[in-house]
Amino acid sequence: MILGSYEVLLEQRTDVRRSSAFIVPIASILGALVIAGVFLWLTGRPALSVYARLVRDGYGSWYSISDTLGQATPLILTGLAAAFAFRMNLYNIGGEGQLYAGAIGASWAGLAIAPHVSGPIAVVVVLLAGMLGGVLWIVIPAIARAFLNTSEIVTTLLFNYVALFLMQYLIFGSSSFWRDPDSKNFPQGKPLPDVAHFPTLHFPRDIAGLDFPSGVTSIHLGFGVAILAIIGTWFLQQRTSFGFDMKVVGSSERAARYAGIPIRRTVIAVLLISGGLAGLAGAGEVGGRAYALDPNGLVLGLGYTGIVVAALSRYNPFAVGLVAVLLAGLRTGADALQGATGPLRVPVAIAFMLEGAILLAALGGEVFRRNRLVVRRIREAPA
Amino acid sequence: MGATDAPVGVRPDLPGAPPAVSARRIVKRFPGVVANDHVDVDLRRGEVHALLGENGAGKSTLAAVLCGLYVPEEGELLIDGVRTVLHSPRDGLARGIGMVHQHFRLIDRFTVAENVVLGDRTQSLRLRRDRTEDAVAEIAETYGLPLDPGAYVGDLSVGQRQRVEIVKTLYQGARILLLDEPTSVLTPQEADALFATVRTMTAAGRTVVFISHKLGEVLEIADRVTVMRDGRVTGDVDAGATTREELARMMVGRDVDLSSRRAVVPAREPMLRVEGLTLTRGGVTSVDRVDLEVRAGEILGIAGVSGNGQRELADLIAGVETPTAGRITVSGTEVAGKGPRAARAAGLAYVPEDRLGTGLAPALSIVDNMLLTRPRSFLLDRRAARAEAEDIIERFEVKTTGPDAAAGLMSGGNAQKVLIARELDSTDGEHTARVLVAASPTRGLDVGAIETVWGILDGARARGEAILLISEDLEEVLAIADRIVVLYEGRLVHETPAAGASREAIGLAMAGVAP
Repeated sequence: MILGSYEVLLEQRTDVRRSSAFIVPIASILGALVIAGVFLWLTGRPALSVYARLVRDGYGSWYSISDTLGQATPLILTGLAAAFAFRMNLYNIGGEGQLYAGAIGASWAGLAIAPHVSGPIAVVVVLLAGMLGGVLWIVIPAIARAFLNTSEIVTTLLFNYVALFLMQYLIFGSSSFWRDPDSKNFPQGKPLPDVAHFPTLHFPRDIAGLDFPSGVTSIHLGFGVAILAIIGTWFLQQRTSFGFDMKVVGSSERAARYAGIPIRRTVIAVLLISGGLAGLAGAGEVGGRAYALDPNGLVLGLGYTGIVVAALSRYNPFAVGLVAVLLAGLRTGADALQGATGPLRVPVAIAFMLEGAILLAALGGEVFRRNRLVVRRIREAPA
Repeated sequence: MGATDAPVGVRPDLPGAPPAVSARRIVKRFPGVVANDHVDVDLRRGEVHALLGENGAGKSTLAAVLCGLYVPEEGELLIDGVRTVLHSPRDGLARGIGMVHQHFRLIDRFTVAENVVLGDRTQSLRLRRDRTEDAVAEIAETYGLPLDPGAYVGDLSVGQRQRVEIVKTLYQGARILLLDEPTSVLTPQEADALFATVRTMTAAGRTVVFISHKLGEVLEIADRVTVMRDGRVTGDVDAGATTREELARMMVGRDVDLSSRRAVVPAREPMLRVEGLTLTRGGVTSVDRVDLEVRAGEILGIAGVSGNGQRELADLIAGVETPTAGRITVSGTEVAGKGPRAARAAGLAYVPEDRLGTGLAPALSIVDNMLLTRPRSFLLDRRAARAEAEDIIERFEVKTTGPDAAAGLMSGGNAQKVLIARELDSTDGEHTARVLVAASPTRGLDVGAIETVWGILDGARARGEAILLISEDLEEVLAIADRIVVLYEGRLVHETPAAGASREAIGLAMAGVAP
């Protein structure tokens, strides 16, 4: 680009410093806070106080931390689902649909199988059924990608809508197995029996202290599953031959062919695992939070937010955990702010705006991490 | 300018006249490296002046200084004897110096003529399509550069695109053309056509600066040769008064042994046997009933012009492709159609033509690339691979920041050393490979690296490995193979011992003329 007698251009950095992997995300968050601060200021709210309150309500007490970790659980799993596949240049953006399919599978198992088995087995069955639901929802895109080279971006995206409408049909449109027959006027999902509910972390009352009177947290079994999934995907990627094959296929398909790595099998396996992770998120939402298949009770957009989580964490499983908790805290804090009084009363949309601003700042930051901005003075040739 | 600038207007140097361009004591530094260290060069009218040097010797930097892309920190440029400072390539063009870059700067969706007049500030606002097309056609015809001015650049072959770049530079009025590694993207036939164009341009009094690291082509095309090493000029000679060996010594800084090497011990039992090997796909037969046998302790060279089935033949033997018909045995084990892993298990190693991208995964570290063709258990063990990577880096003097550096950051020569060493599995006396298929193993490499690669292949032969060398470089096949066969349109057509082989007979066979 030429501005007057100066030339402005991006020059690729030959030495991308390791430390910039941390600096860029932090700078992105600060940049996003500034951008959102401008909006807050324009609407007549004290930005710094709003942020202080946001942090306090998101991370400032045991109660809010518990809420934040509960909200983070599905985000960790959908974030891992996206990151695991994206790493291999397979863009599964169907986490949303696979989460719904997982929720349908988990609630079916909770209603049909759980009543007939004992507690721990019931919970495991619900988890597995959720995972299976997510896996099944990506089977067709995975096979189409491996054998027909169909863009998984398009197929997984379209399957999201199918899943959403299927779920709505099961509750609103039919007298299906999932629908609560007692909810004649306002259709709802059939409640899961207690045996299928995920165990929840309880604080002893005396330790919980002043700000946490009930001792009951929102941290359920799904959070433990999410932590295991972080470790599991990291281990799979870094320490196993399968992870090595993934890396080769993802970075250079010709090298994979040359080395005799089964490309189709690897592509399918990665997509199925990705779908299974998103399905687990659905199981967690049904078994740990909503206790029924309920389109109104399910938080929409968890799958899509997982993509944001994956992008911000640069596909590193541990970073996925951190970013998910960070974004969940924003949401918890924003939920609380909505109920505040006075000038601190801020619509919950502020959290979504911050998420968007962070993502944009991070993507922009990535450009500057890899390139440096050069401003050069140019002189016109004397003819 | 441009179209009206008839080539006959430029006169060759009169005795005593100043050179067209003279660079004096040029210094250009980059962080950590002096790319040009007090470089002198004189370019005369009507000559082909080669800038010869290994990758990183500073020849491209010098060319960038000559065309105005870089302003040198010290030194001066004299154009027709007048001291001049060039601030930009546009400045350089205004003085008649133009560069044809290795990577073309063309717009696919524009026609040839549109690309040529792009950036011409003398054009009126309204494009006169017929006039520009006529101008382009005229230049193209004058210099033997067949081009359709109305064709879209996106539809052209690489060789044709290069012609567009040359026509563009001529249109812009260049009397001195800098060609940066112009043959690296061309087939041999396209390269011959380019050489003819270069001669037409110099006959018309223009100067061509030919930047290259290939000794053979420099000797073929250049009148004068300026050799560079580590940013300095190490030689300035008449092409007619020098030899390959002298140029190689000036490039590398020591004697380079590119003399021919043959097996010193007679070849033993056959290790690789191929019978009736055929590959037909989409109605095209690229490999046609090939029979061959490679014995332990010999190099069988397969000569041929690129595109006659070389890559397919190598891929078939290595198990990457499944043959339509035929048998392949590696030390007695049938491997045809069983995949690369089966071939490797039988003792086959494969150095593919595309070393960075196929043989090595560029984004992966050198350590991980060691693992690429090794049998792996479920849990990955990087310790042995790391030790092997460190060993190879040390023994072959691989220039890299370490075993964890991405393979793609290595130069071609260093990447090839790593690849061949991995394939021969030469860790301290432990040899698993018994048959090596090497496809164009020295293409694009520096002279020093070629010497190393030939040395590695010769050493493997001496240890009793059977080597199938598939190369489009006839010199290479003649230099290190023991027997030579020619591949033409997928068939083996001519077999001869390498010692005393007739270059003419092989050349005819390569062209499809039965001897």
